[in-house]
Amino acid sequence: MTTFKTIGKSEPRRDLPEKLTGEAKYTADVQLPGMLFGKILRSPHPHARILSINVDAARNLPGVRAVVTPFDAPKGQVAPDMPILDTEARYVGDEVAAVAADDEDLAEAALSLIEVKYEQLPFVTDAVEAIKPDAPQTRPGGNLVGGKPLTLIRGSVEEGFAQADRIFEETYSTPAHAGAALEPRAAVASWDGDNLTVWKSTRGVHADQLALSLALDVPRGNIRVMGQNMGAGYGTKDETRLGAITAVLAQRAGRPVKIELTRQEEFVAGRHRHGTTTTVRMGVKNDGTVTAVHATTIMDTGAYLSSGPGVIRRAGQGALYLYRCANVQYDGYLTYTNTPSGGSYRALGAPQGHFALESLADTISEALGIDSLEFRLKNHVGLEGQPGERVTPANEVLDTQPVEGGVPFSSNGLRECLQIGSEAIDWGQPSEQPESGNLRRGKGMGMFIYRGGAGGRSIARMRLESDGSLRLLTGLMDVGEGSLTVMPQIAAEELGVGYDQVLVTFGDSETTPEAPLTAGSTATFSTGTATKEAARQLKARIIEVVAPLLDTEPSNLQITDDGVEHIQYPERSVSFAQIAESAGEIEVEAAISPGSRDHVINSFGAHFAEVEVDTDTGQVRVLRYIAAHDSGRILNPKLAINQVEGGVSQMLGFTLSEQMLTDPRNGVTLNASFLEHKSPTLQDFPKMQVLFADVVDPVGPFGAKALGEPPSIGVAPAVANAIYNAIGVRIRDLPLTPDRVLNEIEAQRGDSQ
Amino acid sequence: MAQLPISYSASITLNVNGTDHQIEVDHRWTLLRVLRDVLGLTGAKRGCDRGECGACTVLVDGDPVCSCSMLALQVGGRQVRTVEGLGDANSLNVLQEAFLAEDGGQCGFCTPGFIMSATALLESNTDPTEDEIKAALVGNICRCNAYGRIIESVKAAAKSEAS
Repeated sequence: MTTFKTIGKSEPRRDLPEKLTGEAKYTADVQLPGMLFGKILRSPHPHARILSINVDAARNLPGVRAVVTPFDAPKGQVAPDMPILDTEARYVGDEVAAVAADDEDLAEAALSLIEVKYEQLPFVTDAVEAIKPDAPQTRPGGNLVGGKPLTLIRGSVEEGFAQADRIFEETYSTPAHAGAALEPRAAVASWDGDNLTVWKSTRGVHADQLALSLALDVPRGNIRVMGQNMGAGYGTKDETRLGAITAVLAQRAGRPVKIELTRQEEFVAGRHRHGTTTTVRMGVKNDGTVTAVHATTIMDTGAYLSSGPGVIRRAGQGALYLYRCANVQYDGYLTYTNTPSGGSYRALGAPQGHFALESLADTISEALGIDSLEFRLKNHVGLEGQPGERVTPANEVLDTQPVEGGVPFSSNGLRECLQIGSEAIDWGQPSEQPESGNLRRGKGMGMFIYRGGAGGRSIARMRLESDGSLRLLTGLMDVGEGSLTVMPQIAAEELGVGYDQVLVTFGDSETTPEAPLTAGSTATFSTGTATKEAARQLKARIIEVVAPLLDTEPSNLQITDDGVEHIQYPERSVSFAQIAESAGEIEVEAAISPGSRDHVINSFGAHFAEVEVDTDTGQVRVLRYIAAHDSGRILNPKLAINQVEGGVSQMLGFTLSEQMLTDPRNGVTLNASFLEHKSPTLQDFPKMQVLFADVVDPVGPFGAKALGEPPSIGVAPAVANAIYNAIGVRIRDLPLTPDRVLNEIEAQRGDSQ
Repeated sequence: MAQLPISYSASITLNVNGTDHQIEVDHRWTLLRVLRDVLGLTGAKRGCDRGECGACTVLVDGDPVCSCSMLALQVGGRQVRTVEGLGDANSLNVLQEAFLAEDGGQCGFCTPGFIMSATALLESNTDPTEDEIKAALVGNICRCNAYGRIIESVKAAAKSEAS
């Protein structure tokens, strides 16, 4: 049994004290001398050509210092399908022009003085409509991204269905919903000659630096991006247009500019979870063996591509990997519409795909007379991975998830999750029913798989500073998940010192080395691996430097909280301050492209819910929730539990109440507020238990795997299956709002009569 | 042709965290704007500007209010308390210590609002039930949904106040 100094301990969140006192600075809190306030004019039309813009009156308003329109903006692209400003507006809320003025009220007034002549164009707001041949075209290349679906195949579904005794097929839909991070996006830009400094809500300062460099045609070295505290994003704040517009305004005004989006703008022009329609077809033998899985997803990427190509791929992950099966296929249709863009919202497409897959799994197990849990235990993918042959060359890091079989997982605790979760909710015991006839209770479950591991190249720097302190530097951003806490835990453990002794500098493109986005649940794995390696090197260097000072061999020395000591003669020791004094600052840097050539690295889990449905009102209440996860070794239990509980509760919103509504007649977002896009509150927070499988991953740093996104995947199927168990009504469209539940009760009772 | 509204300003005495400030305020300015932009107290956050999220919660004469939905003119002569008045990172108060120990936050943007709502609760009810905690904090949204840990934090604070 390995004993650790800090790994596995609930060290307090490093950045929480200053957040509790209001001292923590977020981007909107940045104040610079002479700073102006910027505002963005947005399109009132879902699709229109901008013929002309008259900004004379706005420019003449005293206190207005800069204006930018598509006709005079720099020509750079902020994304492959998005210039800084465009002469074509593609959804209601698309950026059209921007102003900077002495204060916010003036900027707002200036916007109302801008006259825009639009030529309205045909538009489409629904993805299923958009891929029909006669649909209005959102762009010259057509609505279907790439002109064809993304198709991923292992084996042959035709063969698989031929082996089946029975074939089941159902279609499910999930709406777009907003991440609605409580911090609306903000950016501040300031120029000093040719040098630009940008403060923004971000989860990747180096990615932003590169994107701004390309957009503005300014050398990367002249741009500094400084991440502030990030008021979360869940993946929905990756965009460059806001920062680029702010920078252009600041350059024109010759003064710093800040733009803070309003809550309404965040809803209307933010990045949402992609709406989907998914059809899953599964073939099974009468004994429950799965012989084929074929999933087809139509996904709405909105007006811009954004992260759509990655998200459409992830929506197929469950169908391709969750059930042991040699014959599977996924077809993903990613479609432009004239609605707000989708983004990389927590777990990308996995929650949408798993909702369909795990709901259908319950339909199948019921039809076959097999218990839902037994069906999963019989068919879930095991440690050996999928059957079939490896196609990926054996010497290649399995960075993107391979589709073929023949590659084992590095670790797989799915079965343990199913076991511990089902025990915790007394799976075999039917729910106790209340006396009142209109309240019905039931239990449901869903299991899941998520690729999260390797991530991009990451560099960590570690220093023994001149005053004897130890410091980790990385460009990583903590977006609320806790890497500011977990990274020093990793560094301290590897060095052999206490957690508090490792200081951290994060998120500054100038002073910290490159790290990938805090995205895809990869931070612990990728930057954690780099951090561990940097700490190992620093330890070796320090000992090497100290050996001659203590007149011994490095192998006789060890690091302690206080410095370095002789293993046999601990009285022979030097403090970190003394080492720094005699040897000067010591710095090492480790660059890692993490991953494995031999394994697929995935996280797993199983969720169990008990709900109560009021058949008079349609109200669904979650009484009990069990979330069982395999995320490898848990490096900080308290933070991990918070992460899982938060992910579950957030997705209870997706499951029960949240939905972005677009008026199909005019493309207008109808519910751009927290009152109408209804977020869970602590009144909705169910009794919840978080369980972790006892897994130590052989590849991840200290045995850890991905944790950030997986909690969001199992929620919708677990709750929908529990509703079915309670009232015998299968609802295939999210969210499961009271009116929808009531309508389905009525409709499905009607069907059966 | 849009025009700026005619602005009217007045001088008010704003007592914030025990200190009087003589401030010339535009009649349109909210309390949140004065706290953040005039006094530089950025602990109260601008999350929605319409009283839906609670990130801007401060106490006025002891009651939690959304400072985004109250005009500065309404607060002249009254006692305002903000998160900055409770302690700093090196000397957290009992409630803040409990939030740290129980991990009662994630991204932290909603945190000052929760701290102020919980402060008001514990000053009027030293031993709240879980339902009372939920009722008192229901106006504060945490989109990270760290609700489980927030509830535990408030419970722990009440317990340690009592001991």
